[in-house]
Amino acid sequence: MAQDRQVYKAPMFPLWAVIFAIGIALAIATYPFYGAAYVTSLLGKFLCFAIFALSIDLIWGFTGILSLGQGVYFGIGAYFTALSLKINYASVNPTRYGGTLPDFMEWNGLTELPGFMEPLQSLPFAVAAGLFFATLLAFIFGVITFKRHIYGVYCAVITLAESLILQEAIIEYQAYTGGFNGITDYGTHAEINVLWLILVVTFIFFIIGRLLTHSRMGTILKSIRDNDTRAEFMGYNVANYRIFVFCVSSFMAATAGAMYAAWNGIISFLDAGPVFSIEGVIWTAVGGRGTIIGPFIGAFLVKGAEFFLSGKLAWTWQLIMGGLFIFVVLYMRDGIVGTIGKWLSARKKHVPVGELIEEADALAADRQKDFRPGGSSKDPTET
Amino acid sequence: MANILEVQGLTTKVSGYTILDNLDFSIEENELRVVLGPNGAGKTTLIDMITGRYKPKAGNIIFNGENITRMAPDKIFVKGISRKFQVPNLYETLSVYDNIMVSLKGRRKVVKTLFGKVDKKDNDRIWEILDFIMLTKKAENSVDTLGHGQRQWLELGMLIASEPKLLLLDEPTTGMTKDGKEKTAELIKKIAQNHTVMLVEHDMDIVRKIAKNVTVLAQGQILAEGPLSEVVQNEDVKAVYLGKGH
Repeated sequence: MAQDRQVYKAPMFPLWAVIFAIGIALAIATYPFYGAAYVTSLLGKFLCFAIFALSIDLIWGFTGILSLGQGVYFGIGAYFTALSLKINYASVNPTRYGGTLPDFMEWNGLTELPGFMEPLQSLPFAVAAGLFFATLLAFIFGVITFKRHIYGVYCAVITLAESLILQEAIIEYQAYTGGFNGITDYGTHAEINVLWLILVVTFIFFIIGRLLTHSRMGTILKSIRDNDTRAEFMGYNVANYRIFVFCVSSFMAATAGAMYAAWNGIISFLDAGPVFSIEGVIWTAVGGRGTIIGPFIGAFLVKGAEFFLSGKLAWTWQLIMGGLFIFVVLYMRDGIVGTIGKWLSARKKHVPVGELIEEADALAADRQKDFRPGGSSKDPTET
Repeated sequence: MANILEVQGLTTKVSGYTILDNLDFSIEENELRVVLGPNGAGKTTLIDMITGRYKPKAGNIIFNGENITRMAPDKIFVKGISRKFQVPNLYETLSVYDNIMVSLKGRRKVVKTLFGKVDKKDNDRIWEILDFIMLTKKAENSVDTLGHGQRQWLELGMLIASEPKLLLLDEPTTGMTKDGKEKTAELIKKIAQNHTVMLVEHDMDIVRKIAKNVTVLAQGQILAEGPLSEVVQNEDVKAVYLGKGH
């Protein structure tokens, strides 16, 4: 046994996972050639949702920060892109009022594009700016909260408030954001190239997620999730780690938002609001937080079920969603992937039953000896 | 020998109560110092102050000639002070191996851990520590399968992994069986051979086994200090522990 001084560590990219991932990717990439257009449009959306859920998983499942406002970053990415597309579309496709401005600007009495929005005429700039501002906001948010040791429930409430604020701001500043109606009618970008782009980005983000969480960094993130006091007294600047992950996660969410806006062709304040954010949390929980593939599966399953079942179960759908979340929290803490994973690893070990019983006995005896009725520090076995 | 830690005039108050009262205290390099005292004497508070968990009202803490008063806990750790909590503080979902790995010396910055790998040297060191704390067989198990005593040992192992200059151990034998306590005392003795250790302990059996120099705290001040044999003869100490009548 002396030479066997290694612990088993799952490979970074197990062969079965690589084959599985490539298979899924090929299936999605080729689907538009033979499948229904409606399903294709759903696939593009779901991929964006999967990235969104992954971004929540990174901060919640791996680092222990529950954010109920991840939609903010998704929304920022989406709005920057949609605004740019809309401005460009309107300039060559006159609205029914005959102007070359986005319709919501005309309704609100704007006669020309506001100066600060002119740079948005360039789509690459707009996308880059969206990603930059989302990440910057995450950074500022992180510095304000994590550096002051605000975690847990308080953090969740603050993020929730953040998304409410953004939602209200979008509704309020109708002239610049389309307000309650959102941004619509900016041409269709649901082309196969865009689907492939979304697919590639999804692939890259999931690889980044795996790299990040399976490395030494990942172990440290989990240790911070498990016990931030211990990590702090072990010399880790817990706040810096949290800020870093929060920024990465926001960048991912914003990218998902930007691609979603282009693919979907319509966005509204709902895509930045708390309801959407919490939906993302549910996808992650159902799929399995703390796993990389979980958010992907959760987003596809829950959202897929919604699209195919909500027609039949229109008014009960929200109830089912809520019930599902409660079920997962109560009985399947690790979600679908986590539960299957635990079941598999328990089967794999092949520990002889006798050994298990022996160990459990020893542990129980140990705990019993530790038990002191009345809290006396005197050892009862001592004479 | 030079003092590795020097506490000067440390005062702290919690909602009107004075916990530490103008306390002067020092530890020499490579010393094993046992701190005794009745409940509420300020033993844990002293550790909290040294490690930066709470900020003192007045006074200075000098470590290795550097003033570390009011530094953040992670900065103080990097200077070389590791602490053990009274109730074992572990990473519950990680394996025993990973608990040690995360605690290894060096690599605390975000950028450095991002691409960091566990190399052969790290791996050997982890196994060495696992041997030392008698948890080799449990390496792959997650922490929640450990017995109470083993949890205490694991935390000791994590402290050693971080290669500190000063270890602050807050009642490491709490809640252990007699057998476990003896093994822990052995561990601490071994650790003290090449580390500076400050040990807070209640159990007099353990104290007799390992202590040379003892500091007795009471009501936030030093009541007595010196070799164990002298301190136990001290009338003030007897009064605090046994009541005035004796």
